[in-house]
Amino acid sequence: MINCEFDRRKFLQWTGAGLFAAMSTELSFESLASAASDSPLPANTPILVLVTLYGGNDGLNTVVPFTDPVYESARSNIALSSSQLLPFTDSLAFNSSMPSISALYGQNQVAIVQGVSYPNPSLSHFSSMAIWQSASLTGLSSGWIGRWLDTQPHNAFNAIGVGSVLPPAFVGEKSVASMVDVSGIQLPWGPAASLLPRLGHSSSSDVALEAAAATSITDLFSTASLLGPLVPTSPTGSTLGQQLSLLSTLINANVPTRVWEVNLSSFDTHTGEQLDQNALLAEVDAAIGAFMTSINTGTRANDVTVMIYSEFGRRVGSNASDGTDHGTSAPVLLIGNQVKGGLYGEQPPLDALDVNGNLQVTTDFRAVYGGLLHDVLAAPVSDIIPSWNTALSVH
Amino acid sequence: MRPTPSYEQRLATARLLHRFNFGPTPGQYADLLARGLETTQSAVLEHGLVDPGLDSVAPLVLANLGPFPEGNTAASTAFWNTIESDSTKLVMWWLDRMAVSRYPLTERMTWFWHGHWATSISGVSYPLTMQKQNNTLRTHALANFADMAKAMVVDGALNVWLNNNENYIQSPNENLAREFMELMTLGVNKFTQHDVTAAARALTGYSTNQSNGAVTFIPKQHFSTPLVILGTKSKLNAESFASLVVSKDENARFITDRLWFRFVSGTTVAPASLGGSFASRDISSLVSALVHSPAWTNSANALVKSPVEWFIGACRALKMRPSTLDAGDTQWVLSQMGQLPFNPPNVGGWTYGQAWLSGVSFQYRFELAQSLVAKGDLAPLSVPKSKMVQACADWLGVPDWSRRTASTLAAATGSPSELAILALLSPEYAVSA
Repeated sequence: MINCEFDRRKFLQWTGAGLFAAMSTELSFESLASAASDSPLPANTPILVLVTLYGGNDGLNTVVPFTDPVYESARSNIALSSSQLLPFTDSLAFNSSMPSISALYGQNQVAIVQGVSYPNPSLSHFSSMAIWQSASLTGLSSGWIGRWLDTQPHNAFNAIGVGSVLPPAFVGEKSVASMVDVSGIQLPWGPAASLLPRLGHSSSSDVALEAAAATSITDLFSTASLLGPLVPTSPTGSTLGQQLSLLSTLINANVPTRVWEVNLSSFDTHTGEQLDQNALLAEVDAAIGAFMTSINTGTRANDVTVMIYSEFGRRVGSNASDGTDHGTSAPVLLIGNQVKGGLYGEQPPLDALDVNGNLQVTTDFRAVYGGLLHDVLAAPVSDIIPSWNTALSVH
Repeated sequence: MRPTPSYEQRLATARLLHRFNFGPTPGQYADLLARGLETTQSAVLEHGLVDPGLDSVAPLVLANLGPFPEGNTAASTAFWNTIESDSTKLVMWWLDRMAVSRYPLTERMTWFWHGHWATSISGVSYPLTMQKQNNTLRTHALANFADMAKAMVVDGALNVWLNNNENYIQSPNENLAREFMELMTLGVNKFTQHDVTAAARALTGYSTNQSNGAVTFIPKQHFSTPLVILGTKSKLNAESFASLVVSKDENARFITDRLWFRFVSGTTVAPASLGGSFASRDISSLVSALVHSPAWTNSANALVKSPVEWFIGACRALKMRPSTLDAGDTQWVLSQMGQLPFNPPNVGGWTYGQAWLSGVSFQYRFELAQSLVAKGDLAPLSVPKSKMVQACADWLGVPDWSRRTASTLAAATGSPSELAILALLSPEYAVSA
């Protein structure tokens, strides 16, 4: 278990008197160092974890309508065989690369929202991901979590992503999220480090991007001081496994963060899909399994909701290179102890496709976000998602 | 004697140097300020001249490593070790070129085009094949876009990266067809799924040797029936497909917008008049029009320097050759910041703007600044302490320090190296304001 008092002492030792003096005018070190112990995330505060699968995950080989004859005939070279399936209804099965998620489904901790996309889906990775991350069909440049951040008092801990490059969803009009890195995050030290915090002050002559650069410096000091000691310096496991392992540590340490983001790439399976996608789904499954075990055995079991999504699903018919081209709707998975498990929305029929051979859309992703905004972040939906107020609740 | 340069002139001069030339070499900013904006505009556009800087970088000759080895043997270990060391050589070779070029516009444009035709060695595997693409981009960097598009549509690395090796008549693979139109020539929503399907057929019959990037046309595997693409019915191969697409007005608008977005502004829109300078698809005309645009004094046109742009700018100021740093450490830090050359995150290319400005990214930037300054030439700071802060702005090409940064730097005048590190990390240097 993490001992926050210990980490706070260790932190104060690291910083040294000189740095402390240099920074004390700018930041309240006491409050930063002890954020998790003195201002921990209050008990029973809901937490949202976004898992972004970049590249367009093939929904039909994730949650498989295995009894539909079209499934086998349209994608004979990549259709999963019965030994590669974990059925959970008469007509739907998980890809057998997903035993942990399948088991969680059996414990009613997984909601599967079917047929999720938006009207007139874009087959472009970048347009579609921009739509999902901005929650706007009309090209808003801010992200949906970023706009939620804009409604909160600025705090480097409100939303945190893993990595170094901010995901678009986390960039607001006024505020951006912070990042942590699985390779470690530490307070700057060595030449020039003691004066660095002063570069994080805002200045009246800053243009917006300079102000953002200054904020990033201040945010590094605040996140490194609190989170640095909690981040293992030599992470093990898969890419996503490392990210989610870090998250479970930080969440169980009561870091005051409401929204987290992790991600995995390479779902653009135009060729050799079975091998690649099965391996990727196995990575997702193992990472989620370990994460949920850690969360469900800690004090935050009833607080965490995970959403797994991708920018689109893939074409119903496979191509000759044993892959699939860009498609439209796909299932979104929501996981958590407080999630009411089961199926939501409708599975789009495989024999009634659009003109491009793609699935119809039966659920708008903004309804899923609406549910999460309402149930997890307690935010008015229409304040965050323009011209939208529908909420699909899975809680 | 000329009057003291105005803030507008300092701003415009700094922007032109940072955005088109990877930042000034020592003394260059002050020199160009004295010589005026027109001279600066001409100076940043210089290219194609004998370049003693580039000539000092040894040519990189990579071997064709042949097919992937079978099994797990000593030979396969050696093969993958060579792939890795060649890949390192390739990255450092290009970074060196950017840092030491006397007329950096060609390398800067090659860097832009690398992000535009974003191809990753993660999918291509072979450094030689990536280097061939890099040379193609350099050849066409300031030439005609129609020729560039024709060369790139049959570029081996791009064909491997976007699965055109698996694009067959019987069942097309749409990846290259779609991304070529969406991300490289026309822009999103400028074509239909029908155009994608047809374009994929036009691109059948091309076979790439992955290890050396050679592309062979195999007529009997090519779909030779006339195709309707963008409303025109014709027999098409890859090159004539590229020509057709590039001939559309949307192509001029799209490329103009892309350059505007990366060189001028993430917030303002390119003026329609710029399209005229690209009517013949001459890239150097378009770049010249950008350089001569009135946008440079508009305060709205700030851009964040990407990690490589920031790093190369620092190298140029410090007269540092990137390969004199530890190659492994440098690549690691760049990749942690999200921008290792030859490794764009996906076919959409590098991110932009605020996404680069995370605290974590700053942590790596700080590490890099420390190691650069430890080895770099700090002669420009050999001035009396009272003049050091201003000398630093003139050295790095910063129009003006904020009060915050000026006072921080003033506190560091006892140590030129600390002052240099802080200046490189300042918001004013992280952003081309």
